[in-house]
Amino acid sequence: MIEKTNLKIAYAHLTSRIKQSIIAVLSVTFGISMYVFMNGFMKGVNDAQTDLAFSTLAHIKIYNDLPVDNSNLLKKNINNNTIVHISNPKVIQYTEGIINAEQTIDAIKKIPEISGIAPQLNINVFFRNGSTKVNGLLSGIDTQNEDLLFGTAKYVIQGSWTMLNTQTDGMLIGKGLAQKLSLSLKDNISVTTADGIAKNFKIVGIVETTLAGVDNQKAYIRINAARQLLSKNASYVSDIQINVKDFNKAHLVAQKMKEYTQYKVEPWMEANGQLQAANGLREIIAVAVSLTILLVAGFGIYNIMNMTVNEKIREIAILKAMGFDGNDVVQIFLSQSIVIGILGGWVGMALGYTISLLVGKIPFQIASLDTLPVASDAKDYLLAFVFGLMTTFVAGYLPAKKASKIDPVEIIRG
Amino acid sequence: MKETIALSVNHLQKYFYVPNKFQVLKDLSFEVKKGEFLSLIGKSGSGKSTLLYILSTMDTDYQGELFINNVLLTGKKQNELAAFRNSNIGFVFQFHYLLPEFSVIDNVMLPALKLKTKSYDEIRAKAMENLNLLGLKEQAEKQANKLSGGQQQRVAIARALINDPAIIMGDEPTGNLDSKNTQIVFEIFKELAKERGQTIIAVTHDDDFAANCDRIIELQDGVLLK
Repeated sequence: MIEKTNLKIAYAHLTSRIKQSIIAVLSVTFGISMYVFMNGFMKGVNDAQTDLAFSTLAHIKIYNDLPVDNSNLLKKNINNNTIVHISNPKVIQYTEGIINAEQTIDAIKKIPEISGIAPQLNINVFFRNGSTKVNGLLSGIDTQNEDLLFGTAKYVIQGSWTMLNTQTDGMLIGKGLAQKLSLSLKDNISVTTADGIAKNFKIVGIVETTLAGVDNQKAYIRINAARQLLSKNASYVSDIQINVKDFNKAHLVAQKMKEYTQYKVEPWMEANGQLQAANGLREIIAVAVSLTILLVAGFGIYNIMNMTVNEKIREIAILKAMGFDGNDVVQIFLSQSIVIGILGGWVGMALGYTISLLVGKIPFQIASLDTLPVASDAKDYLLAFVFGLMTTFVAGYLPAKKASKIDPVEIIRG
Repeated sequence: MKETIALSVNHLQKYFYVPNKFQVLKDLSFEVKKGEFLSLIGKSGSGKSTLLYILSTMDTDYQGELFINNVLLTGKKQNELAAFRNSNIGFVFQFHYLLPEFSVIDNVMLPALKLKTKSYDEIRAKAMENLNLLGLKEQAEKQANKLSGGQQQRVAIARALINDPAIIMGDEPTGNLDSKNTQIVFEIFKELAKERGQTIIAVTHDDDFAANCDRIIELQDGVLLK
């Protein structure tokens, strides 16, 4: 229990040296606001980075991978002392793509964490316009689900995304690809597959995504047209792209999915490890910088509290002479630093919020960004407050302990 | 008035170790009766202040025994002694040591708020009564550092009295006061001893002050001279 009388003395100490108290509060404020801002900024950068990445990348992809390398057929039966030579072994993929995708899609739809499924049929083709010939990727898609996962519709700069639904020979084409082929809206384009099958399409839209590399080689047609081009059945796809509600848990959902399909299930962490590493590293930097700032703030408070103790040493001695014990003295000084911590914490959170808002308005027009990305997460505010309080507690406890050990006789006798 | 013992010491010895080992108090034994107004005198270096701080329980580094109100205080823990001082001993120092940020009445109330045997209102009433006794009623709500030196010293006395301590100890309580204020403080002490039966032990350099006390203990080189 903290004594009211002790709090009253603590309050008198805080208010009698208002300037120093304000400086102490400000140092906590600064530390905590920096903690909030730095973490929010890093989180914003991470989110923006991830959003950019997920505009072309699904959280989980199911596809038909190469079979396991079984080319050394004798491996199991012959021991190491025998030299084996198999002439010209090959890994042969007997099936291509996912033959009966409906079945797989129906099965994984039951997993509650899934937020969207888009089947795709991707074909490597030659695009041709007269004598100009460019190789690229033709993606047969389901317009509705594709847009749900990747938001591709908003990248259509000319023409319309939904035209694919109404026009069977319609094609949307990447901006770079259109330039290479000197094509514009409503022009015809010829496509040739690896098997030599050619078909004409009509351009109903031009797409500009955030990745120029994609726009330089990719075109979209409806998935049934793609199946037709390959002479495949109405349930044939090359990839099933899946988004989950929380992309950080994609690997867990992928693990679950493996029970429903014999095809390769690949979460984004496996395919793009660098994304995850970059996110993790940025978070570490943010935490390290903000904790350092808090630590410096802690030294500031320690210093100020030490000065207070030295200044009030006679008062402490007389309080002890009157019967206040060591615990009372600790309470008096510790409650001062806790008040500083709480005040600094609240103001710091408010300041951090304001800084985050302001920085979030600074223009930054690169890729799909308009302003600097700043996220705000209640968890950061809470952690900043807790760390701030912990710092002030430790910084206040040490001088308070020192004060409680003062020998009144020494001080009063001089 | 009953002749009971308020304080007694048995074979008290005290050494200073810095810079050299030096015996300050040499085997002192004496008793102080309840309601006695006693002054401790002696030249500087005689050990009188050292003795007072041992009697006050603040200095615990000694050999021998100390009883106050028949309670053996030798060997008790610091926090126990603090609680004992709070209810049994009042202090008046040469310098008043009031908390400058607090009002006069708040300063007076402090030891009682710590003791907590009475309600806030009772304590306040008692503090007012003490201030009235010392002629400071009008100054009650003023901030402590706005008062004159003599007034502040009287506030310190009011504070020392708040818990009705058995013993009031003064370390040159009139050392910083002019003769008029010294006279006032002396009269207050005298009255407390006589009317309320409170024991008063004061270290002093002031021979007039000492001469008017009930009893004088004189120390010389750590030995009682009487």
